[in-house]
Amino acid sequence: MNIHTYEKAWLAASLLLIVGFIVTITYGSVGLGIAMIDDSEDTIEPDELDEDERFAEPRVEQVGENEYEAYVVARTFFYNPDTVEVPANSEVTFYVTSGDVIHSYSVVGTNLNTMVIPGEVSTMTAEFDEPGEYGVICNEYCGGGHHDMEGQLHVVPEDEFDMTELSVEAPDEVELGDDATFEVTVENGQLDDLETTIDLEVGNETIEEAVTVAGQESETTTIDVDTADLGEGDHDWTVTVDDYDESGTLTVAEELEAGDDDE
Amino acid sequence: MSQATEKPDGTGTPEREISHDEYDPVGTAALIGLYFLILVALWIFMYFVEFLGNDPTVIGSLMVGIA
Repeated sequence: MNIHTYEKAWLAASLLLIVGFIVTITYGSVGLGIAMIDDSEDTIEPDELDEDERFAEPRVEQVGENEYEAYVVARTFFYNPDTVEVPANSEVTFYVTSGDVIHSYSVVGTNLNTMVIPGEVSTMTAEFDEPGEYGVICNEYCGGGHHDMEGQLHVVPEDEFDMTELSVEAPDEVELGDDATFEVTVENGQLDDLETTIDLEVGNETIEEAVTVAGQESETTTIDVDTADLGEGDHDWTVTVDDYDESGTLTVAEELEAGDDDE
Repeated sequence: MSQATEKPDGTGTPEREISHDEYDPVGTAALIGLYFLILVALWIFMYFVEFLGNDPTVIGSLMVGIA
């Protein structure tokens, strides 16, 4: 068979092109680790997400030094949690499932995009190097409110990220002379210990208490305030732990009405 | 093939016949070469700029330690 020189050149060039395609895709998957989202996760009962240990409380969880897992449930027409917050320089694995119809979890302007199918758990892992805010939208038509279905993905600077939660239990009314007991619970969702101080401001007094909360634990600190020092009347109080605060008002009365004792 | 080499007016005088390798369509080759370069450039643009430049990208959890 007599093949023309140009034809030979064309055949060689097309073969080279195909090899080039294969090389770039191989480089992407082996060199950069780019993966496809698959159905390797076990199926799940979409009507019983409330009883599933991963999806009953959709959340972000720390699983390694810079590794986080985000559990998201998509429903018509919202995501739970609405805003996923993770630190920069982290690797996050998203587990997304649907409680009703087919949705999608598409992080706008990025390659993070998955279908969300009831009964299936879509998993995708991504590295976030830089802080930034992304919008999340549903790109599978899911019903009348589809165009309003959106969420947020916030990648915050590492030093601004925490998973601290503060709750305070304090009496509303205390008899003059008694102690007012503030129960301050600090929850630390991260793996590392949290060393911080609890600032309690009540009336003109400020009380500081250092606490160390172990990783993924919570710590309750009891602070007693002598109401004799505060005097009678209403006193505003604020408990501050890092960037979180909770406040209320404490009433110190000369004599509490019978049956109105909080303690 | 004799018909193809005859003059259209049917006088029967043959045109000059060229051999297989003498046929040299440089213009067509240049055009196809240009198409080819555009194709390669578009592939490189699509994969390395549009796709890889669109970080973050889904990565496999197995490759995590390496990447």
